[in-house]
This record gives sequence, C-alpha cells and structure tokens, in this order.
Amino acid sequence: MADPVTVATATTRREAGRPVILAMQVGFFVLSMVGWELMSSTGLLDVFFFSKPSLIAVRMWDWLSSGFIYEHLFTTLIEALLAFIIGTVLGVIFGLTFARVRLLAAVFNPYIRVFNALPRVILAPIFLLWFGLGIASKVALGVTLVFMVVFFNTYQGIREVNPVLLNNVRMLQASQRQLLRYVYLPSAMTWIFSSLHTSIGFALVAAVVGEYLGSARGVGFVVAQAEGVFDTTGVFAGLILTSVVVLGIDLLIERLENYLLRWRPGG
Amino acid sequence: MTPAVSFDAVTIRLPTSDGGALTVATNLSLDIAEGHFVAIVGPSGCGKSTLLNLAAGLLFAPEGKVRIFGDELGGINQHAAYLFQQDALLPWRTIIDNVLLGPLIRGRSHAEAEPEARHWLQRVGLAGFEMQFPHQLSGGMRKRAALAQSWIVDPRILLMDEPFSALDVQTRQIMETELLGLWAETRKTVLFVTHDLEEAIALADEVVVLSARPARIKGVYPVDLPRPRDVAEIRMIPEFNTLYNKIWADLRVEVGAAAHG
Repeated sequence: MADPVTVATATTRREAGRPVILAMQVGFFVLSMVGWELMSSTGLLDVFFFSKPSLIAVRMWDWLSSGFIYEHLFTTLIEALLAFIIGTVLGVIFGLTFARVRLLAAVFNPYIRVFNALPRVILAPIFLLWFGLGIASKVALGVTLVFMVVFFNTYQGIREVNPVLLNNVRMLQASQRQLLRYVYLPSAMTWIFSSLHTSIGFALVAAVVGEYLGSARGVGFVVAQAEGVFDTTGVFAGLILTSVVVLGIDLLIERLENYLLRWRPGG
Repeated sequence: MTPAVSFDAVTIRLPTSDGGALTVATNLSLDIAEGHFVAIVGPSGCGKSTLLNLAAGLLFAPEGKVRIFGDELGGINQHAAYLFQQDALLPWRTIIDNVLLGPLIRGRSHAEAEPEARHWLQRVGLAGFEMQFPHQLSGGMRKRAALAQSWIVDPRILLMDEPFSALDVQTRQIMETELLGLWAETRKTVLFVTHDLEEAIALADEVVVLSARPARIKGVYPVDLPRPRDVAEIRMIPEFNTLYNKIWADLRVEVGAAAHG
C-alpha cells in the first residue's frame, strides 16, 4: 500500500490556479507601467528618450480614433499576407519537387545551405532597388523568409512520410498523383502547419523592416517617420501596436492549427 | 486449377545497412490455391514478410517469378489487399474516410462510397465511430477499421503480415474469430504470416513452415480441423495438439538454427 504521507503531499502540493496566474500577470503589467510612468514623471528616466506610458496610450488612441493608422496597418498586413501566401506556395512546390527528385536535392544542397545561412533581412536594400518603394519590395523580402521555412518543412515532411502508410495506400491501387494527394501532401501539411507561427511572424517582420528602410506607407513607415523627428512616443506607439496585432494573429493561427491538426494524439 | 499466388523459384535479397545484400531465400517455390487460408510460419528473419511483399508487388524478386492467377506480377498486385502489422490507417483521416479511401481511389465519389463504408464499419463492429480519428480508437478497433479498409474493395487475395501481433491475447482471439467469420462468407484466398504457430493452426487450412535463412519450404501441413472454428475453443481439441506437436517438431529445429546462426 502507498504511504499515506506521500500520497497526501502528491495530491495537495500547491499549484497556482489559472485565476491566480492571470492576476499576477495583470499585476506585473500594471506595476511596470506605473513604475515607468513614475520614473519618467520624476525625471529618473529622460522623457525625451523613454517617453511615458500615458503619452503612448494617448498617441495610440489618437491614431485609432482619427483613423490615421488604419491605412498603414492595412498596408503592412497586406504585405505580410501576400508574402505569406506566395512564400508558402513556392515553398510547397519546391519542397515537394526537391523531396521527390533526389538529383535536384543533391545538386542544389550547398546553394540552399548558403542561402539559408544568409541573414535574409540583408536582402531588403537590394529588393528596394529592384522593386521600388511600393509594397512589391516588402513582399519580395517576406517571400524569401517564408519560403525557406515552408520549403524545409515540406521537404522534411515528404521525406519522412511513414513508409507503411505509403505502402498501404499503394496497395489500395493509388496512382502517383493519388499518393501525392492522399499521403505525401497531408503528411507535409502537418509540418507546414506547425511552422505557421514562424512563417507568419517572418512575413510581418519582413513587411515592417522593409517599410522602415524605405516606403510611403505602413507601420514601419510610421515608426521611421517618428524616429526622424525624435518622437520617441510615436516609435513606442508603433512598436506596441505591431506587437498587439501580431499577438492577435498568433492567437487566430493557434486556433486554426488546433482545428487542422485535431487528428493528432493529444492535439 | 491455376493457383491464386505462385512463387516460382524466387530469390529474395534484402539490402543491408552497410550497403551489401543479404540473401534471404534462394530458389523458393510455393503455390497458394485459390480460396485457401494459408498461414506461413518460420523463425524470425527467415523472410516471411518479404515473401508477402513479393506477392503484394511492393518488392520484386531479382530472380524467379511471382504469378497471380497465372499472370506474372509486374507492379502492385491488383487483386490483393494488405493488412499490415503496424498501424496503416491515415492518421489525418477519420475512420470512415479511411475506409472509403479504396473506393475513392478507384474513382467512386465520396457520396457513393459512404454508405458502403458505413456498412463495412458496422460489419466489423465500429458503427458509431465513423467520425473518430484513428488515435482516438484502441489498437483492436484500429485493426477492425483496417480490416474494413482492405475488405471494402473486395479483393480476391488477402495478404496479412502478423496483423494481430500487437494486440493483447483476448482482443487477438476476438479479432481472429471475427476474421474467420468474414472469411467464411467470401472464401477469399488468404496468405497469413505469423510467428505464432497456435494462431496459424487455429486459422488456416494449410500451414507452411519456412526454414531458417536461407529460407526453404520445410513443410506444408494441411489443417483438417472442422469449420466454423472458434479460435479459443479449437485449441482444446486433441487433433489441434497432435498437429501442433507435429509441426512444432519441425519448426523448433529451424527456430534453434535461426537463434544460433
């Protein structure tokens, strides 16, 4: 029989419940904001460089209520979305081809490695020169980032298809095309879905960085403008706004992922 | 009568991890008569599963021929369904979508195939589990779904590679009995690979004993036990034991050879 003392400690060991954790999380936020506000108000922090939460909140409210920010936000999201879609489609096509045609993979392996090792944000200036200051240059940058993530995941997904599943569907008389449709692609999809967070994040980073370097619209542009006139409040407001949007998108993706991968054990 | 499956002097070589090739069988010939339930037993590593993969067309013999109803096999065996040892249901498709995959691949529409798939799920005792995903079912239930998946296309030959070896003893006996029930209705040709001699005798019309590597046919034993059989009860009758002892005498030599070689 189990030792009653051990059982008691095992079952009554205190673990903070959800509401407690939430309260602590909110508490931390309030505390740091109040601290920041106080330090800025008392001159401990230079308002010029660090701004104040109250100023930032007012600025964000101005942007939202005047409607000024929507055009920029919309531009950034469109760029990210386009980069995400194009990058994913290209990544799937190339990943599929490389995984099925061994020779291609063997020949291009070193080049892919080099391209992957390259910090791709560095391509932004080139793309600005090639595609101009409009959205095309940002989409191009995003595509290169998203492509690599999706490409590698697709490649891996196809190469690691369970051979038993493959043989089973082959025995059901599937053609090569049907194998692709019923086994290879769904198998790769699980890898692609699990990389959604990363690739969407990359698409947004590319959009904002691209705008920051040169554009006439977008959140990155707003931040760059604010920086140009030493408007720290504007920079912070832009930063926080972007974070909130990314957070929202992330939550949506998580839901989508949970739905699409619901067939997984424990998923 | 033309045998359903005929191995004609086949050689089986398997690639080894160091890049060489291991000769598993040479010059092996075996005919499987249509409508027979044939069990293949032998020591582990003797190439039982490989033989099954040859009949499926998933592997090709470098020498010798495999004929299916007299025709030389040149690709995937069109007449056969395969029940694998491992889980082979597509994990991302629901149970019913897994079962109707065969008809779907053969060009039927989803709507057309669905009632039939439901019917098959009912026959294997899975009514009500249509919309579940494979991981939500127990191992035994997944095997039932796999059975439905392979029988729905009405194959003439069933290839089974230790399909129940991962199940617990009780579930296994239930599955074996149900398999016999399904089989009795259609009398399809069955090639059943197992390492379990009791299972082989309980199910089959004929037990083929393979020798240790390189595999030869050590013996073919007809099983003249009455049908319909209950796999749990049939083990109790004296004829079962006599046959078991007779085949085991042959098999144990090979198992010993495989273990020491």
